Amino acid sequence: MVLPPNVSEADFNAALNEFRSAVGPNWTFTSDEDVALYRDSYSINWGEPEERVASAAVAPAKVEEVQQVVRTANKYRIPLYPISTGRNLTYGGSAPTMRGSVVVDLKRMNRILEVDEKRAFALVEPGVSYFDLYNYIRERNLNLMLDVPDPGWGSPMGNSLDHGAGYTMSQFRDHFGSHCGMEVVTPEGELLRTGMGAIPNAETWQEFRYGAGPNVDGLFAQANFGIVTKMGFWLMPMPEAFLSGTVTAPRHQDLEALVHEVSYLEDLGLTGMPQYGSPVAQGNAVASLMQNGWPSSEAVEKFVASQNRPAWSVQLYFYGPEETVRATWQAAKRRFGKAIAGAAFQDGEFLTLPIPREKEPTQSDKPRLGIPALEVFNMVARNPLNTNDPPDGHADLFVTIPRKAAALWESSRVLYEAHREVGMPARYSPFSTPFTYYSRCFWTGTTVPTWRDPAKNARSRELFAKVMERCAEHGWVGYRTNPAFQDLLISKYSFNNHALLRFQEKLKDAIDPNGIMSPGRYGIWPPAMRKGRA
Amino acid sequence: MIDRRSVLKLGAASLAGALVGTSSPVLGAARADRPGFPGAAVFTSQHQEGLAFADELRARRVAALSAGNDIAQLWYGHLEAGRAQRAPIAGLTERATLFCLEELARSAGMRVLYRVDHLIDEHGNAQHSAVGPAWVVQAASKLTPKSAFGREMALLASQFEFPDAPSPAAVKRTGPFAPGNKIALVSWMIA
Repeated sequence: MVLPPNVSEADFNAALNEFRSAVGPNWTFTSDEDVALYRDSYSINWGEPEERVASAAVAPAKVEEVQQVVRTANKYRIPLYPISTGRNLTYGGSAPTMRGSVVVDLKRMNRILEVDEKRAFALVEPGVSYFDLYNYIRERNLNLMLDVPDPGWGSPMGNSLDHGAGYTMSQFRDHFGSHCGMEVVTPEGELLRTGMGAIPNAETWQEFRYGAGPNVDGLFAQANFGIVTKMGFWLMPMPEAFLSGTVTAPRHQDLEALVHEVSYLEDLGLTGMPQYGSPVAQGNAVASLMQNGWPSSEAVEKFVASQNRPAWSVQLYFYGPEETVRATWQAAKRRFGKAIAGAAFQDGEFLTLPIPREKEPTQSDKPRLGIPALEVFNMVARNPLNTNDPPDGHADLFVTIPRKAAALWESSRVLYEAHREVGMPARYSPFSTPFTYYSRCFWTGTTVPTWRDPAKNARSRELFAKVMERCAEHGWVGYRTNPAFQDLLISKYSFNNHALLRFQEKLKDAIDPNGIMSPGRYGIWPPAMRKGRA
Repeated sequence: MIDRRSVLKLGAASLAGALVGTSSPVLGAARADRPGFPGAAVFTSQHQEGLAFADELRARRVAALSAGNDIAQLWYGHLEAGRAQRAPIAGLTERATLFCLEELARSAGMRVLYRVDHLIDEHGNAQHSAVGPAWVVQAASKLTPKSAFGREMALLASQFEFPDAPSPAAVKRTGPFAPGNKIALVSWMIA
């Protein structure tokens, strides 16, 4: 058994007994075989002393039990690490940020407390998964659409608190941005509600986020200032129809205009998440362009001209009444046609919503229709690009770059060079496309393989750190990362001698004086563990 | 009566050969009331061994479900409903299926109790490696590169008994990814 740092075995056992009293003997897990279930399947430190493994787990069923667990943790200085469903793979999964923490598994708090169809919101507990909420809505024929991540097995609460994102309209696919109201057990065991929830008997807890005075909700996302036990979400009214369409642009230099027009549609709330692509880069054609290193823009245009395929494509997705989605697509065509010489268009799928349940299993691209799925695992597992020695997981590093063509070019070049510096395959080219989960910026990045083999993981960690360093030199830094790199990530947010982190540490010291809540999460450590950091 | 120990003994000679001729309805009826008897089975329909695994367990009155393309349909539509009984779920699937089910099963307090990985090369030769109770490891060690292992793994599953002390070694042993030049299947038991 792993012990929490600086906790005696006697104190730990005493704490475990109090946890058992609080939640029941069957819901405190201490055996090796039980605790092993909380290992991070994608750990980049698997089997090494640095692997972030839990010392135990405890699964409360109600808020009062959470409070009791927290009070006991304070009494014995036991570090806690709450998870909702613990499925944020690549970002730590169900394992704690700090080795030896006790996982507070909130899976038993799985009630859907309210779904209001006409006011389009939901209030849920941490253990409610996207599948649970989706089934609840469909079984009751509620006229609401979820925005789901892919894979969709996580929880609305956990995904939003980790700044996860989905696929539909921007105001919904920013999952933290679409939350409204929280209930939180503080590190000292007190219960508070944010926004209008602080007003007894208010009926607007899930309708007006801010209340009055400082809004503190952000403190509970990617942080360690409390355990969120209830959370509200705004939901999208079920659109009558869904329509997709594809725009292609012939030249590489057309990307700037393409991005501008897509952004115009997105910022007006006229399209869902755009999907950029590069038809000319499909297959291995681009390998010849890259054989002598990063090419010049002239060489890129010459290459495009030789391929007889458009340089870029973007798929657009429209949600709403049939009349408006068709009209919006027409307006989009007009604008792209005017902005980009040679732009071409292809009508995509038109669907009447909601999708009948019997048709869901065969429906393609479920996440864009708000249907949670796990198909992505089969897609990647059977990917012919997998090597003969496939990894066991991956650690994703997405960095935020400006929403413009020049930034995409430059960041792709930097990623390409960073991979080559450490002798790893570089799959970047001038045709690399951005991730568009958040509508106001682009993400680019890398998927670093993780293994059960420590030697291979050492190389992966070297690559991860190298990419993060090189990107940070340009001001491109991750928004979320694997626990193994959270200190490094936060060290890049260094304006004015790390003023932001120092402010967060002051808050930490005041709110969590014993440092029991998720020590080290996103670089925020208790004072005794802070030395040498930031 | 055929029990786990019989499987061990028979396995030393030929696990498959000894059991193939057994009257499956009789065996199924005899075993179905044991705590370790699978309440359901999951198989890959993409590979002959998965189909053989399903056929064998169906003959023992185990509900065998095709993994399909979306494990969510399987878990939330079928398997999760039985989690209160924590009846064992047997499988012969691709790695990705086990990976997803293992993660989902954690929320139900269930875990992988054994797994036998089958790595099949382009010539159809299979390498088998087992983790779990000693009797499973020993039985799997009798498999040959050309064994019809689907049926044998079904027989193994039908003989399953809860170990006194589950080993964490079988938990989260691989990720979901498969090598590009081989077929990676895995037989498993989740309970």
